[in-house]
Amino acid sequence: MSKISPRQLYFFLACVAPVGKLVLLPTHLANIAGNDFLYPLLVQYVIGAAAVFCTLLLVRRGKTLPVLLEEVCGKAVSRILCTLLSLFLFYATLVPLLEQKTFVQSVFYDTLPSLAAFAPFFLFAAYLMAAPLERQGRMWDLLAPVAAVGLAGILVLSFGSADYGALLPAVSMGFKSFSEGTMSATSWFYDSAILLTMLGKVEEEKGIAVKGMLFYLLGGAAVGLFFATFCAVFADTAVNQLFAFSKTSKYFAGITVLGRIDYFFIFLLAMVMAFYCVLPAQAGVDLLVGAFHKPRFLGPAVAVLLAAAYFTVSVSLDYRFGELVKAVTSTSFWVFPVFTVLAPVLLLALRGGRRES
Amino acid sequence: MKFVSGDLAKTRDALKKLLPAEDILTFPFRAAGGLDFCAVFADPVTDKELLGEQVVRALLPYDGPHRAEEIAKRVTSPELRIERTLEGLAKEVLAGNPVLLFSDMDAAVVVGTKKLFLRSISEPSTDIAVKGPREGFIEDVKVNTSLVRRRLKTEELRIEMLEVGRRSQTTVALCYLEGTAADGVADEVRNKLREIDIDFVADSSYLTHFLSARPYSLIKQVGSTEKPDIFCAKLAEGRVGLLADGSPIALTVPYLFVEDFQSSEDYFVPAYRATFTRLLRLFALLVAIYLPAFYVAAQLFKLQLFPIRLLLTIAGSIRDIPFSPSLEMLIVLFVLEILNEASVRMPKYVGMALSVVGALVLGETAVSAGFVSTPAIIIIAFSGIGLYAVPNLIEETSVVRLAMLLIAGSVGTYGIILATGFILYRLVTTENFGSPLFAPFAPTVGRDLRDSVLKYNMGSLKKRPVSIGSPNRRRMK
Repeated sequence: MSKISPRQLYFFLACVAPVGKLVLLPTHLANIAGNDFLYPLLVQYVIGAAAVFCTLLLVRRGKTLPVLLEEVCGKAVSRILCTLLSLFLFYATLVPLLEQKTFVQSVFYDTLPSLAAFAPFFLFAAYLMAAPLERQGRMWDLLAPVAAVGLAGILVLSFGSADYGALLPAVSMGFKSFSEGTMSATSWFYDSAILLTMLGKVEEEKGIAVKGMLFYLLGGAAVGLFFATFCAVFADTAVNQLFAFSKTSKYFAGITVLGRIDYFFIFLLAMVMAFYCVLPAQAGVDLLVGAFHKPRFLGPAVAVLLAAAYFTVSVSLDYRFGELVKAVTSTSFWVFPVFTVLAPVLLLALRGGRRES
Repeated sequence: MKFVSGDLAKTRDALKKLLPAEDILTFPFRAAGGLDFCAVFADPVTDKELLGEQVVRALLPYDGPHRAEEIAKRVTSPELRIERTLEGLAKEVLAGNPVLLFSDMDAAVVVGTKKLFLRSISEPSTDIAVKGPREGFIEDVKVNTSLVRRRLKTEELRIEMLEVGRRSQTTVALCYLEGTAADGVADEVRNKLREIDIDFVADSSYLTHFLSARPYSLIKQVGSTEKPDIFCAKLAEGRVGLLADGSPIALTVPYLFVEDFQSSEDYFVPAYRATFTRLLRLFALLVAIYLPAFYVAAQLFKLQLFPIRLLLTIAGSIRDIPFSPSLEMLIVLFVLEILNEASVRMPKYVGMALSVVGALVLGETAVSAGFVSTPAIIIIAFSGIGLYAVPNLIEETSVVRLAMLLIAGSVGTYGIILATGFILYRLVTTENFGSPLFAPFAPTVGRDLRDSVLKYNMGSLKKRPVSIGSPNRRRMK
């Protein structure tokens, strides 16, 4: 399988990555920052875009992360750092995974389904995690238009019932809410950490860092438009609307005649989300395999163990998902910037590992 | 390896020992010069009239030297060969070519007077075109190669004859355009064919297993067609083709998934019409696979998916049905599959009766008796029709439809989404002969999208598809 092409990477940044921010984040931010919830999102996207830029600058060195680290710090330290990043990625998978689970249980079933309804996801996740990360590139070629059609469809169906005046006043909650919202939103922004694991697996292109950043911001703009529409549809009741993208379009006038046609777009986004929510774990497994050079044994073994662990966590936290989100967003939120912002910047500053001219 | 000896009787006996079957006959005759001849031939596959006319009659006045080359000059058949090994002679006899032995011979003469039992060239029933050529391949590889040669009158056309199958020794013609075929593909196909160790090849479809990168996958990886015009168009795009003796189905590689949504007729009608029909085929296939599954999932897990009036209608019709929605749908699907299977196998004159029994007795009576509901029959009928919009994928899509139905009945819509994701992932990660199966969608190849589900005008298709990997990119100036 060939390397991930720059086009596939841009598709990921502009179309696939935003989907992970459409489920609980709008409600979560509306809860904390009220009408000001677009500002934390803006800040996160600006920081995220800078991190993406820094990470993609490293693509020019043409080396994988384990090799890059090995040349600077030696084999042992490289393995430790890669393991730490992998552990972070496994941890980062938790929120989107449980988010997906509660979303599926609430939106796709009239009554609370049995655990078996979500169990196939873990088989799917295990299969994906065991596969090399490069294969994902082609999937992004396919998922990007799917995500774009899904999001565009939901927005089009929602515009009729949106009152953008509900976004006013634009500044109402003060700095405390803003900073709290910004900090707690970090748990949804780990894209640059995923990109770190793709180093050496992406084809080089002139200006890839700038283009990548711009595509990431483009995705951010789409998320911002969705957030605004979500708030415009629900106004003050947005804080109670969990699983935002499944609800925004439900007031479409044609639904009484045609049925829930918005579900078609929800299904499209759910499929993209299924791939996106496994991606951090998949990237983590791929990084471990690269660091320890044991692809045949390590990849599938870690993938199966992880899937089993996630299944156990999802079963044991069945009714405590809210508490988990709270724990991640309010107590361990600082872990995210360490790996998503600090790590790329530090790597960029490292003198070693540069390609010989 | 044994060679022919100068002793006619000894060679004849040795050959008969190698070919003990009763239908291997010998015909001894003496020429005017006193030279003894013996023709050895396989009775059912040899044209005895030609043998008498072109060989026996021509040699009766012979009075020349006892040398195969001299004798061959007197035989009036255009297809002649000199053979020295007994194994080679046996092979020729079995292929329908009589061998001519004579006293004090240095080698035997093989005469090409094979008897051909051919059906006439007709339109293939699986690939009917309203506009465009109506010829289809038949079971003879020579006729098929002639159909190809007639369409591609270029010195670049290469036709290599290979033999596959220890017992059947089936002739397989490897066809490609030198300089246009994707680099290395012809070599790879040739190597794969040579590595095949199987005793019998009944049809070209036997070869697909050996040509597939993932032979046990549900996903089709080798293209097939029964029409020479399509076959030649594919060769001209840079593909490599295979024609197997005894099979009217030609194979082509590299195969792209999108090929089966294209019909030869798309190139003979205006581009807008071709685009519309391709989209229609895609829609029909998606409906065929997903409609029964979503209907069951909606009934079992998410009634909101139905508009309220439709929901009331459905509720009314399923009220007295004794089965669960998924079991009901499975029963109807199985009945359809059985009817389909039976109608293909049974004699044509029974077909009408079967339609009456299937449509009226099973359908109408089952609904009025309350076994199954009307919506279930409508959905399965629609799905059944939709599947045939893309006939080349029926084997795969009917299995996927059944799998989706089972998943929908047990897990619901999310299961369908995951299964779809899994299938798409397998599709995009499958490669065969260096070409990604799901190109030009994933990886996206912008230029190739012009002849995918969309169809641009001929003037916009100046270059060959990048996805095939032809070294000769330009096909039109």
